[in-house]
Amino acid sequence: MMGLPLAFTYAPVLFALIALPAIWWLMRVFPPRPRTEVLPTTRLLLEIARKEEEPARTPWWLLLLRLVLAALVIFALAGPVYRPSAETAPGAGPLLIAIDNGWAAAPRWTSIIETAHRINRIAEQEGRPVALVATADGGTQPLDPADAATVAKRIDALQPRPHAADYATLLPALTAAQKAHPFGGVAWLSDGLGGDGVSAFAAFLTLQVGAPTVVYADQSSELMALKPPIGAADALTVPVIRRDGTHPAAGFVRATDLKGRTIGDAPFDFAAGSTAAEAKFALPVELRNDIARLDIVGSQTAGAVQLLDERYRRRKIGLLSGAGVDVAQPLLSPLYYISRAVQPFADVIEPRDANADIAIPQLIEGGTSIIAMADIGTLTPDVAETLANWVLKGGTLVRFAGPRLAAATDELVPVRLRHGDRVLGGSLTWQDPQPLASFSPASPFAGLAVPGDVLIKRQVLAEPDATLSEHTWASLADGTPLVTAAPSGKGWLVLFHVTADTSWSNLPLSGTFVEMLRRVIAFSSAGAARQAKPGDTVALLPPLRLLDGFGHFASPASDAKSIPAEGAIAVDAAHPPGLYGADDGFRSLNLMDDKATLSPFDATVAGDATVLAYPTEAPLPLRPWLFAGALALFLVDALAVLVLNGGVAFLRRRHATAAVALLAVIALASLLDHARADDAADQFALKAVEQTRLAYVVTGNAEIDAASDAGLRGLSEVLTERTALEPGDPMGVDPAKDDLSFFPLLYWPIDPSAPLPTSATMARVDAYMRQGGSVLFDTRDQLERSTNAGNFSGTPAAEYLRQMLSSLDIPPLEPVPADHVLTKAFYLLNEFPGRYTGGPLWVETTQNDAAHADRPANAGDGVSTILITENDFASAWAMDRDGRFIYPTVPTDPVQREMAFRTGVNIVMYTLTGNYKADQVHVPALLERLGQ
Amino acid sequence: MAAANSAPERYGATLPALGEAKGVAAGLPDLLIEARRVAATVIAGWHGRRVAGRGENFWQFRQFASGEAAIAIDWRRSARDDHFYVREKEWEAAHLVWLWPDISASMDFRSRLARASKRDRALVITLALADLLGGAGERVGLLGESDPILAHNAAERIASFIARMTPRPPDTRRLRRFTDVVLVSDFLDPIADVEARLDAIVRSGARAHLVQVTDPIEETFPFAGRTEFEDPETGIRHVVTRAEQYRDDYLARLAALRDQLSLLCRRLDWTFLVHRTDRPASEPLLALHARLADRHALAGHQGGRAA
Repeated sequence: MMGLPLAFTYAPVLFALIALPAIWWLMRVFPPRPRTEVLPTTRLLLEIARKEEEPARTPWWLLLLRLVLAALVIFALAGPVYRPSAETAPGAGPLLIAIDNGWAAAPRWTSIIETAHRINRIAEQEGRPVALVATADGGTQPLDPADAATVAKRIDALQPRPHAADYATLLPALTAAQKAHPFGGVAWLSDGLGGDGVSAFAAFLTLQVGAPTVVYADQSSELMALKPPIGAADALTVPVIRRDGTHPAAGFVRATDLKGRTIGDAPFDFAAGSTAAEAKFALPVELRNDIARLDIVGSQTAGAVQLLDERYRRRKIGLLSGAGVDVAQPLLSPLYYISRAVQPFADVIEPRDANADIAIPQLIEGGTSIIAMADIGTLTPDVAETLANWVLKGGTLVRFAGPRLAAATDELVPVRLRHGDRVLGGSLTWQDPQPLASFSPASPFAGLAVPGDVLIKRQVLAEPDATLSEHTWASLADGTPLVTAAPSGKGWLVLFHVTADTSWSNLPLSGTFVEMLRRVIAFSSAGAARQAKPGDTVALLPPLRLLDGFGHFASPASDAKSIPAEGAIAVDAAHPPGLYGADDGFRSLNLMDDKATLSPFDATVAGDATVLAYPTEAPLPLRPWLFAGALALFLVDALAVLVLNGGVAFLRRRHATAAVALLAVIALASLLDHARADDAADQFALKAVEQTRLAYVVTGNAEIDAASDAGLRGLSEVLTERTALEPGDPMGVDPAKDDLSFFPLLYWPIDPSAPLPTSATMARVDAYMRQGGSVLFDTRDQLERSTNAGNFSGTPAAEYLRQMLSSLDIPPLEPVPADHVLTKAFYLLNEFPGRYTGGPLWVETTQNDAAHADRPANAGDGVSTILITENDFASAWAMDRDGRFIYPTVPTDPVQREMAFRTGVNIVMYTLTGNYKADQVHVPALLERLGQ
Repeated sequence: MAAANSAPERYGATLPALGEAKGVAAGLPDLLIEARRVAATVIAGWHGRRVAGRGENFWQFRQFASGEAAIAIDWRRSARDDHFYVREKEWEAAHLVWLWPDISASMDFRSRLARASKRDRALVITLALADLLGGAGERVGLLGESDPILAHNAAERIASFIARMTPRPPDTRRLRRFTDVVLVSDFLDPIADVEARLDAIVRSGARAHLVQVTDPIEETFPFAGRTEFEDPETGIRHVVTRAEQYRDDYLARLAALRDQLSLLCRRLDWTFLVHRTDRPASEPLLALHARLADRHALAGHQGGRAA
C-alpha cells in the first residue's frame, strides 16, 4: 500500500482475495434458492408462455454486493491499520529510550508515551534490552538495560514533571551507564524544546554513544508559557511566550482566584514571526488582588501557569508630606517622586486632608499597607500611637528625611537619629557628596546593582550603635546608612535618610530609587517573610500546593523540599512550582521567570540522527469498521434477497401495514405520554372553565365521593332555581394533580381513614387559598361530637383535619358570628345545618371594628379562605337524578333540609360575591346619613 | 382427476398410496359427520318429486289425449262420465346417482387461505350428497367402486367404499342411460385427458354434474418474487423469477380452462359448478340438489312421456 498510509497486521490473509473469483463463479452457478410453493396448478404455469428469460443467475449488482462483502471480510481479517506507526528501534543491542518528561512534554504526553510503548514493543520483538531514561528525573533513576516488560511498566509510571529536563545530573550517570553497557541504539523522544542542556545531551548521544539515533521532536504543536505578570496602574499585564513563532496565534489567559473561580479572561495575540505577546487584565484593584492563578486557556502545562502571591498584590500606599502640597510646582513636592516611583506597582492614595491627625487614621481605615511619610518630624501622640499600632499589626511605614525630621523625630524610626542633618559637598563642608556604596545582602535590596551616579548631598545621621549595621539596608561610601529599617511587631519601619525630592540627593531621579521602592513594597507584602529579621536565617516555607506537569494543582510530593521565604529559587525536582507556606501567607514559585524564553529544538544538534515528528494521531485499526461495513452490506443483501423473492410485496400486502402501524403507535406512545398528560390537564381546564362549577375533593372513598357529587349537584340545582348563578355539573378534583384555580369553592369532605395528603399537595392547597380560593372542610361527624360544643377536637376526622392543616398557614378561626356576612349573603340565617344540626361553621376571625359595631353585618376583609363544618352539608344537599333526597336529615325535619340548602346558597354566594353583601346591608345607614 | 399412471411413478410403490388411502379413511368419520351436518342444512328443502311418473301411488287423473296407449286408460274413472281418463302415478322410480370424488394427490392440497383441503371438501360433498340421496330413497353408488346402494345409511356405505378407494380415473363401464353422475374433482389434469374421460361418460348416455373444487390460492395466485412451484401430483417443479408477472396470464389460463369445461357441459346439457374451499360446503350441495332435482323433474317428464 504505497499511496495509502495503510498496513496489515496479518498480510497473508489477503491471499484469500484470490478466492473472490471462485466465489463469483460459485454464486453465478448456484443462484439463491427460491421459495418453494406447492401449487397443484403448476401445470398451468408451464403452459404459459415465458414472460422473460429466466435469470437463473444472481443479478450482477447482487453479485457485486456479495463480492464486496467477501472482500471486506477478508480485508478485515487481515487486520488493516490506517496510518500505521512507523516506529523503529534503531541500531542493535541495548536500546536507550530517552523520554523528555519536562513540563513541555505535557501537551504531547499521550503520543510520547504511546510512541515509547511502540518502540519498546519493537525492541521486545527483537529481543533487545531497553534502558529507559526520563530526562527530567535526574541521575538517580535506574539506567541499566532491562527487559521490555519492566520498561513498559516504567513508561506507564512516567509523568511529565513540572520543571525542565535535568541534564546536568543526568549526563554523568548516563556516561557511567554507557561505559557499563554500551548502548546499541537510541530513541530520543524529545519534548521539542532546545537549549544548552539539550545540546549537551545531543552531544553526548552523538559523541559518546555514537549509535544509530532516532529523535522525535515535536515542532508542530503550539507550546506557550506565561511569564510573571507585571502589575501596572491600569492593568495587570501577563507576558505570553511561545516556542514556534512562524504562524500567528491567539488565545486567552484566564485569571482565577484561590478557590478556582474565574475572575476574567484576557486575550493575547501572537503576530506571525513573534514569540512574545501580552494579555492585559484591566480590572479594579480589588479584583486584581484576588487573582491567584493565571493560565493559558486550553494549555495543559506547568509553564502555562503563573501563580500569584502577595508580591503581586497591588498594594495601597498612602503618601503624607509635612510640606504643603504645592500643586503649581509639583516637581518641588517630595510626594511627586514617590508617587511616580511607586505607581507602577501600587495604588497611591494621597489623602485630601493635609492634616496628619485626620489623614493617617483615614489611610489606616482605607486599608493601606504602606504609608510613606515625607519629612514629617513629629506626630500628635494619639496619631503616633495609632500609627505605631498599625505598624505593630503589619503595616510598613516608610519615612523620608527632611528638615523637619532632622529637627525633631518621634519614636517611629528604625534607628536613633542625631539631631540636625549632615551636609556633604557644600561650601562649608570639606567632604564630597557621597555615592551609594552597597546594599546589605540580608535586605530586600540584595542583588540590586549599585548605581554609580547617585550622589548624596545631605542626610540625617543615625546614632552609631552596635545594631546599626543590622538595621542598615543601604549605606553610603563612607559607611553611613542611607536606608535603615527595623521590624516593629509584624510591621516594619523603614527610613530613607534623604528627602524624597531632589533637594538632598539625586537618588529620587535614579532608576535605583524606583527599584528600591518596589522592593520595599514587595517586601512589605511578603507576609510570611516579615518575621525574619535581616541577617537571620531565612524562614523556610513548606510546600502547600504544587503544580504537576500538566499545570494542575496536586498535593505535594514527598520529595518536594521547603523553599526559603525570599531569594531566587531555581525550579527543579526538589522545588517544583507551586505555592509554599501556609494558607494565610505563602510564596509562589513559578516555572517561568521574567527572562524565560522557549527555544525550539534544533535538529542540527542531533548530528546525523533521524529526526521525526510524532505521529499526529495514533494508528487507527480499521478492522471494526470493515466488519461493520460488512455487516451493513450483509443487511443490504438480506433486504435485496427479500425484495427479489417478493417477500416485501407479500409482507406489504399482508402484515406490513399492521406492523408499521403498530411500530408507529409504539413510537408515538412514548412521545404522546406527556402530550396525553398535558391533554388531560387541558381537558380538565376546559371543562372547569366552560361554566362556573362547584368542586369537591375526591377522597378515594366511593361512598363519600358519591355523596359529595350528588350533594353539589343538588346544591347546583337549588342555586339554579333560586339565584342568578347557574353552575354546571360539579367536578371532583384531586388536589395533588389538578389545577384548583378554576373553582371559587372547594368542598373537602374529611375521610379520616384516607392517607394524609402529601406536603406537596398541601402546598398546592395553600397556594389555592392564597390566590383567593375558599375551602369548605366538612368533618361530617357532628353526631360523634361530645356535648361540649365549641371544642374542635376529639373525633378522628377532626384530628385528621387538624394534622392536615398543621402545615398550612391558617389564620385564627371562629364560629360564624351573628353579624358575619355569611349570615346575610343571600338568606338570613342564624345557624348552618347540614344533614346534622348543631355544629358550628368555623370561618376566619374577622377584625372586630369597634367603630362599626352597630352595623348589621361585619364584612371583614375579603372572603374567608377556610370554612370548617361538621354538619355534613353534602349529604343534606344530595339528590339523585330524579330530585329525590338520598340521605335523611338528622333529625328528620324538612325545615332543616331547607336550611341546609340556604346555608349552601349563602356559602356559595359568599365565596362568589365576597363582602359585597356587607356593603348592601349598609344601605339603611347610608340612606339615613344622606337624609341628613 | 387422478393420474393413475403417474401416481405410482411418483411414489414409487403402492405403500405410500396405501398410506394415503389410510389417511383418507382415517378422516372419513369426521367427514361423515361434517357431511351429515351439511346435509342437514339442505334436507329441509328436499321435497318429494311431485312429478307424475312411474310409481306405486296415485298421483292424478288426466284426460286421455289421443294417440296415447289405450292401456293407460283408467276405465273405472272413465266410466263415471263421458271422457276417458288416464290414471297417473307419482314418479317413484328410484333414481340412480353415481358419485365419484377425486382423491388424487393434487386434491390433497390446502393453502393457508382455505378452510379445508380440496379432497376433504370433495369427500364432504360426496358423502353429504349420498346422505341426502339415500335418505330420499335414491340409489347411490360410488362410480367404479361399488354397486348401487339403496339404503338410509348410504353415506356410511359409500364412506366404507371410499376408504378402500385408490386414486385412479373413474371406471365408467357400469354407467347407463338415465343415471346421474356427480364428479367432484379439481379437473386440473390436461384438458385432453379430462375430455377423454368425460367422453366415456358421454358415450354411456349418463348425465354428469361436474363440481370443480379449487383452492383459493389457485384462484388468486398471490405469489411474488422468485418462486419455485411444485406440482404435488406429478412432482413437476417450475421456477419463476418474478411470480407476480405471471398472475394475469395464469388467471387467464385458468379461466380459459374453466370456460372450456363449462362449454363442454353446456353442450352436453350437463352442469358445471365451481367450489372454492374457502366457501362453506353447503353451497355446492344446495346447488347440486337443485340441479339434481331439475334433472329429476326433467327425467320424470321425459320418462312419463316415454312410458
